[in-house]
Amino acid sequence: MKKIKIVAGITWAFICLILIIILFPGLNSFSVSAARLPFMKINPNFTGGEVVQQVATEGCTLDIRRPVFDGLFRDRKRGFVQIDWRGNIPDTITDTIDYNLDKIPDFRIIIDRISSRTSLVPLNAKVKDVAVSTSTSYGWALRVGIQK
Amino acid sequence: MADSFILGLSSGSACLVTCGMVMFPYLMSGSAGVKRIAADITVFMIARLLIYFLLATSAWVFGKAIFTYPVIRIVVPGILYIVFAVMLVWYSISRNRERECPARFATAVNNKKLIPIFLGVVNSLGFCPALFIILTKGATQNTIAQSYMAFLAFFIGSSLWFLPLPLAGKIRKKKIIETVGILATALAGTIFLIKGITILIGGLING
Amino acid sequence: MDNTLIDSMKKSFGKSLLYTLPMFLITFLFLTGGRPDFSNPASGFAFLITFLGVNVLYFLMHFTGKTDRFRAIIFIIFAVSLSFTLIKNMVEIRSSMSFSQADIVECKIPFCHLVIPMMIIPAAFTKSIIFPGSIIGGFANISSMLVLWLIATLVLGRGFCSWGCFYGGWDDGFSRIRKKPLIKKLSDYWKWMPFAVLLMVALTAALTLIPTYCDWICPFKAVTEFEQVTNVESAAKAGVFISLFGGLVVVLPVLTRRRTQCSFLCPLGAINTISNKVTPFTIKIDKKACNECLKCVEVCPLYALTPEGVKSGNVSVFCSKCGKCVDACSKKAIHYGIKGIPAGTMKNFSRNLFLFVSFLFIAVFSSGSIIFTLTGLFKLIF
Repeated sequence: MKKIKIVAGITWAFICLILIIILFPGLNSFSVSAARLPFMKINPNFTGGEVVQQVATEGCTLDIRRPVFDGLFRDRKRGFVQIDWRGNIPDTITDTIDYNLDKIPDFRIIIDRISSRTSLVPLNAKVKDVAVSTSTSYGWALRVGIQK
Repeated sequence: MADSFILGLSSGSACLVTCGMVMFPYLMSGSAGVKRIAADITVFMIARLLIYFLLATSAWVFGKAIFTYPVIRIVVPGILYIVFAVMLVWYSISRNRERECPARFATAVNNKKLIPIFLGVVNSLGFCPALFIILTKGATQNTIAQSYMAFLAFFIGSSLWFLPLPLAGKIRKKKIIETVGILATALAGTIFLIKGITILIGGLING
Repeated sequence: MDNTLIDSMKKSFGKSLLYTLPMFLITFLFLTGGRPDFSNPASGFAFLITFLGVNVLYFLMHFTGKTDRFRAIIFIIFAVSLSFTLIKNMVEIRSSMSFSQADIVECKIPFCHLVIPMMIIPAAFTKSIIFPGSIIGGFANISSMLVLWLIATLVLGRGFCSWGCFYGGWDDGFSRIRKKPLIKKLSDYWKWMPFAVLLMVALTAALTLIPTYCDWICPFKAVTEFEQVTNVESAAKAGVFISLFGGLVVVLPVLTRRRTQCSFLCPLGAINTISNKVTPFTIKIDKKACNECLKCVEVCPLYALTPEGVKSGNVSVFCSKCGKCVDACSKKAIHYGIKGIPAGTMKNFSRNLFLFVSFLFIAVFSSGSIIFTLTGLFKLIF
């Protein structure tokens, strides 16, 4: 029994040695494999949800993403909807947004990109406030707080 | 609801360590098997839930009557959170906790069938700092349903610690679990302290 | 004093060189990828200094028989150089140490292993990672960091805290400033606090889907990056992490000569403590050789040793295998061991194997940021 324990311990130690030796050269391929695991995607509360509609206007593209209410077990009562502007964006953004795609406008937004001032005019009682309005590497991102 | 659940979960550990060891002999005495113990604990939990239901209602009604002005509605809870959070941290590290447990009065009840009900009532009315915090929260909710939800989350969080009570004798390394639980209570107190300070400063700045 | 015992870990110059040769070859291969490039004089020089430096440290570990002081050198330099790397990167891109809302929206925050305890429950329920980083590609992506931590923690257990963690070097460094502690007795009851922190951050992160330790607590934001202070809440967060860095990373380690942040706060340390049960490497006490002087208890930076433990020949799961107790023991009664091998036997074999594994990990893991830092310094100077 004592000898078995010693052999087992030393064997496991040598396996660990091999693991460390292959870890760094194999890191890229291990990472790529790990990235394929089902949970390896960023939560929509950070990414902003998938793009459900794109509206192209005068060299600028508007991405309307799905409303995000994702919670741990079920949807939350309060969430947000993210709108992205890409391409040739004017200094002052003025748009009317229908985020739930029911052909009825939900809010109007006016963004002064120079001063970063953002004005929200809710046209729907579920639209609450501006959570984030920021310049990004691709253009501009807006997150508006909404209720389910 | 999340912070109410966490408050319940963290304070429930301190509650178990103090009151649990007083309650356990009464819950176990005269019983014959796991079914009876489970029945006693169920009655105990129902009694706690009913009392919390009453407390949620009282807190909300009181809050509606007192916290009428927006400034008072923000500033007073902020101050209360800070005071009770400090008390909770002190409570968790204090060595006098066991003497403060109301369950020690269970000896006054002669009828053994009434003991789980009595223990449920006194446990939920044991005015520990965590309960003061949840009362403050209940008082500041906009609707009574929100107050009920806050107390329900608190009840669920705190109840989880009582569920393994019948197996207490069999759990090894109890001392470590108790230690971690007490420290978690102190942390929960710190969270509410920071929350209270943030609410207070935010309320003062926004007038 | 029996010099044979004390010097038993030392090797001759030739033997030490022989033991260093595999490390020399493997680190060269790993750091250059098999294709050394010295076209840029600054980075070439930085590489040479780093490469030779790590191998000299490894050589000295064998030649002197001491472990901790040489481990600490690379551990501390790693921590400082990583902060330099991150800060330089941020200041060049953003002209600031603070990250903006845009960085969060675009998921550009570098991932660190301290997020891992908070990811587990949300990953199980929502099948997603609650961190605004990149899964693959870019600096410190989630996938690579997860793989690195997982394998390192399987192999080293809590040894990751002394041979891998790129933050531990900060409080390890501050704990070495004074020769003697000013506060000798700090209750080791607090060493259970990381478990309470783990419980709270895991729960709060799961319920809010925000990595609450990173958001509110992590003291190392003081030396890496942090959220812009734009309102009361972000100001409160800044107050918390600055206080924790000041208290647990600087002041208390200086006063106690212990790693108080790692002992009293870090939730990843709590998880790594559990993985100490898996690793084959451990610290053993040879009760026959031990004279119970308790010097090891005095020097242990992580409260892993207690007088009762030493008397019964047990080292707790809090041990990070830093080697401080091994170096301090005049009887060589406390030593590196492998599970299954009885205490007091095969000491040299166990030490040699552990050192190779752990040092290889830290040498390769740290070299990137050390080379980057030295390159930046050389460009500044010359």
